[in-house]
Amino acid sequence: METIKKDILNYLNNKSFMDGNTQLNDNDSLTQNGIMDSIGLIELMDYICEKYSIEIPEDMLTPENFDSLQGITDLIVKLTE
Amino acid sequence: MSKKVCEKCVLDSEIPGITINEESGLCHFCETYAPLSSEEKDEYVARMEELFEEHKGKHKYDMIFALSGGKDSSYTLYKLKNKYPFLKILAVQFDNGFTSENAVANAKKMCEIAGCDYFKLTMEKDILYDTFRKAAESHDVFPKVAKYRASDICNTCISIIKQKLIEQAIVQKAPFVVFAFTGAQSPNPIINLSANFIQWSRKLFEKQLQEMGIDDRDELFLIKKDVIENIGNDAPIMLHPLCLWDYNENTIIKNLVEIGWLPPDINDSNSTNCTLNSFACYNHLDKYDIHPYAFDIAGIVRSGDMSREEGLEKLHKELSQPLIEEAANKLKLKLK
Repeated sequence: METIKKDILNYLNNKSFMDGNTQLNDNDSLTQNGIMDSIGLIELMDYICEKYSIEIPEDMLTPENFDSLQGITDLIVKLTE
Repeated sequence: MSKKVCEKCVLDSEIPGITINEESGLCHFCETYAPLSSEEKDEYVARMEELFEEHKGKHKYDMIFALSGGKDSSYTLYKLKNKYPFLKILAVQFDNGFTSENAVANAKKMCEIAGCDYFKLTMEKDILYDTFRKAAESHDVFPKVAKYRASDICNTCISIIKQKLIEQAIVQKAPFVVFAFTGAQSPNPIINLSANFIQWSRKLFEKQLQEMGIDDRDELFLIKKDVIENIGNDAPIMLHPLCLWDYNENTIIKNLVEIGWLPPDINDSNSTNCTLNSFACYNHLDKYDIHPYAFDIAGIVRSGDMSREEGLEKLHKELSQPLIEEAANKLKLKLK
């Protein structure tokens, strides 16, 4: 789980211009904290589907599942189990 | 520290957030660049064609197409209809109050040539000017990543277009919404939208509008709530076919002019259709020190579709002062 979280954090660092010193807690909202917008979310989804060879079911695509490091990590764990 | 320019693209160390690796001489984006291979592009094209086969002809329109009348959308519409003549397309041109005369003429002309229906989405000029004034005056409403993708004014305008075109697709039951984004602007050629995601995107944009001081209670800019509620299980699919095709600006313009498209009537190296664009660039540079086209141009250069020299020239070309002044006057904003 920590590896997945680190991978997503790396992605965000690389793609979202998140400052190196930005403190992002596991449950912080990516959209409310100005890290992601809807286009960024689409790109992140694409990355996750490709990297983890999963498809994200439509009903799981909600802010609860996809708007925080923890939510995204849990989602990937659930879909790769 | 002296300015360093990436040896492959056009990004430089003076752009906030960009560092150039001393050893490789490259920016981070060039170092990690992984373009779609030709096999992957072929797979996407095949997938897109399967989707056309699966969904075509079921309703009045197969596709709602975002047509600005500029070179990219004019070319994409023309090529799409040439390759897939069976597609029934409604091309929507959003008149943001700054659409050039030639852009309107070109949009109509392209629809005539391609055999598509044309719809001009208009709003009251005062409302549009007020909206873009507030976008110009706003700070940090859009996430940091969005500031590299486009100016605050363009992000606002593009968001309105997306909202209204998705709304139109749902109302018309059209299975596809198409935008002419280049690979650098959007690397995802096929995006399966879902009701949840559409709702979420709407909420994000609504919050951005509110932060600018815009209360869109009449849902002029946002997808109407009752439309989303009736979406059912058939959310439209968003397509970006241009990012699957070879892209060369000069060739595209040359080919378009040959079929009757009018060359741009505005002096803006980054837009062939919008007279607000120069001001939007000026405003964005003034607020964030980021040229809103730097990443787009860098992406086109990185992919090999434009030479680095051309890219650098385009990026550093002086913005049109008359266009900046004209737009500032309309928006009742003072220039520094």
